[in-house]
Amino acid sequence: MNGGLFAALLLPSLGSAAVALAVRPHRRWGSVLGGVFSVGALAAALGLAAHVVGGATPVWGPGELLRADALSALLAVCVAGVAALAALSAPGLDRGRESYDQRQARLFAIFSNLFAFTMLVAVTANNVAVMWIAIEATTITSAMLIPLRVSKASVEASWKYILIGSVGIALAFVGTVLGYFDFVSRVGSHESTILNWTVLRAAAPAMHPQVVQLAFVFVAIGYGTKAGLAPMHTWLPDAHSEAPPPLSAMMSGVLLAVALYAIVRWKAVANAAVGSTFPDGLLIALGTLSIAVAALSLVIQRQYKRLLAYSSIEHTGLICLSLGLGPLGVFAAMLHLVNHSIAKSMMFLLSGRILDRYRAAELAGVSGLLTAMPATGACFAAGMLALVGLPPFGLFLSKFAVVRAGFAAGRPWLMGTVLGLLAIAFVALITQLNRMLYGSPPEGVAIGERRRLGLVPLGMCLGALLVLGLAVPRPVQVLLDGIVEIAGR
Amino acid sequence: MDGTFAKLAVIGSSAVLILGLVLLWRRRSNAHIAAFSAQSVALAATIALVGHFTGDGQLYTVAAILLLLKGVAIPVLLRRMERQFGAQRELEPYVNTATSLLLGGLLVLLAYVVTRPLVTLSQLPTRAGMPLAMGLIFVSLFVIISRKKALTQVIGFLVLENGIALLAVLGTYGIPLILELGVFLDALMGFLVMQIFVYQIHETFESIDVDQLKGLRK
Repeated sequence: MNGGLFAALLLPSLGSAAVALAVRPHRRWGSVLGGVFSVGALAAALGLAAHVVGGATPVWGPGELLRADALSALLAVCVAGVAALAALSAPGLDRGRESYDQRQARLFAIFSNLFAFTMLVAVTANNVAVMWIAIEATTITSAMLIPLRVSKASVEASWKYILIGSVGIALAFVGTVLGYFDFVSRVGSHESTILNWTVLRAAAPAMHPQVVQLAFVFVAIGYGTKAGLAPMHTWLPDAHSEAPPPLSAMMSGVLLAVALYAIVRWKAVANAAVGSTFPDGLLIALGTLSIAVAALSLVIQRQYKRLLAYSSIEHTGLICLSLGLGPLGVFAAMLHLVNHSIAKSMMFLLSGRILDRYRAAELAGVSGLLTAMPATGACFAAGMLALVGLPPFGLFLSKFAVVRAGFAAGRPWLMGTVLGLLAIAFVALITQLNRMLYGSPPEGVAIGERRRLGLVPLGMCLGALLVLGLAVPRPVQVLLDGIVEIAGR
Repeated sequence: MDGTFAKLAVIGSSAVLILGLVLLWRRRSNAHIAAFSAQSVALAATIALVGHFTGDGQLYTVAAILLLLKGVAIPVLLRRMERQFGAQRELEPYVNTATSLLLGGLLVLLAYVVTRPLVTLSQLPTRAGMPLAMGLIFVSLFVIISRKKALTQVIGFLVLENGIALLAVLGTYGIPLILELGVFLDALMGFLVMQIFVYQIHETFESIDVDQLKGLRK
């Protein structure tokens, strides 16, 4: 039963990648199959989450290789959902009007599915070394796709990404090794289950605080690099803006979340070993710095995809900060993570539609969006309002929850600063949005919406954001409560 | 017995660290590649040594794979890259050689400070080598940050991986074999992808000087 669930979650993406690898030249049905499979994986993720909500903790494999608690289940749903969105907008799906050739569509089908697979393994692996291996593999698979259209900018972006990302991940490995260092020197065992998160978490109270503290610094810096936390964020705006839009959606929507997931796992171990003061302080510092860097950078951006990328840094910063604010903060952080996954992947896919039409990456090249593409423009505007945290969208609720958690944790000055920075980001994003929406479209830009079918999944995202903006649905609430339990105090 | 083991482990880790320091004072890529290759051999020997004294047969397998992969296969690929781009010198690093060496020394000192809790806590005879491994990690990070050639950065990254492997084997007698294989696979794939990008940089920029990669700085 459990094996079947995990197989239904993990195998579709592997299958789509294998099909794309085998079929040469790339055919449209390969991309269609990828879309169908990815929706299947999403259904499996929802099934897994339903089990967890029902109180079960599915485990499978030798040495409890795969395990899904509330944290894993929530992330698996996010990853599978965004992967499905990306697969439904993959290059190679549209007949006739193609901005990518067959070779590029095939590459995309292979690597985007492998990318989704590695992220799903990362969030369901019980073993922290397997989790590390999977996250390292996400760098490799996603970096291959950034220069899908080879240009100086995209080659530069992917080089920065793979180098900084690999170094960061290597540091996370140092943390992983240190994390079980004194555990091993006492137990002396060489079973591979020794690196299981469940085993580490159970042994944590007896671990040596100073060593775990050092390990957590390495882990937070290492995975924080992948999460785009300042000051290790420098690769992110380039990579996210140069990648093809469906890949940007996956990278911004869920890859950052997967990296944060790894930090939460280790924080649970660190909390049990050294108490929460040190890990909380580190996460708050990294988070606040990220929000500051992002807010100030947002003001001077000239390209809309870079605008979205910096907004991702802002949101990951906020999530990271919130993770350091006690149980209420963890709840708010994970809620915000879900909202951000939905909103940001939708925005990057919309920006892909805009880019296709306007052929301009610059903000200055886009005007009259509401005239040229009424539906896309309206969704884009709604998404931007959601991102800045206005009601009635989910991000309003979760941002509010973060701020409340901050005050409850007795940090009014910190929250005052953060609110000020969020206000700067707010003004920057809304000003740019206005410039894009109104006025008349530049000459040569076709008027009228096309490929309406592609808007359907994006509209569903908007619907989900609205639902999450009204109240936190019961199953989500149960998962979030479970995560608070896992993260520890 | 433990005394011999401890001494040999320190000698092995010192060799690995010193070969890593070569990156700081040699400028030619072929010297870097030779140093990396020799370092991987020294690392494999150290791992085999730990395997011998602890009676852990798995470590021999790890050492053998490391020897083949990083001692032989990757250096061959690196040399091929180097030949394709002609003899390239790391002309002007952001930090000059003398300062680099000085900073390298300071980084090793820093490593001693950072690893103090580890060394006092550990009961393993190999513990004295851990600061050296951490020192190598810091030095290789510095190389990656301060050097301009993409090829040098790749070698810096490979050396960083060696430093981590050394730390793991000294501190914990290595991670379980099955996981180690996954790590090797990732390392290999990562290297191959980096290699693709180095060629792409070469094609699009006609030089692998990452100092030219400035277009996106805004």
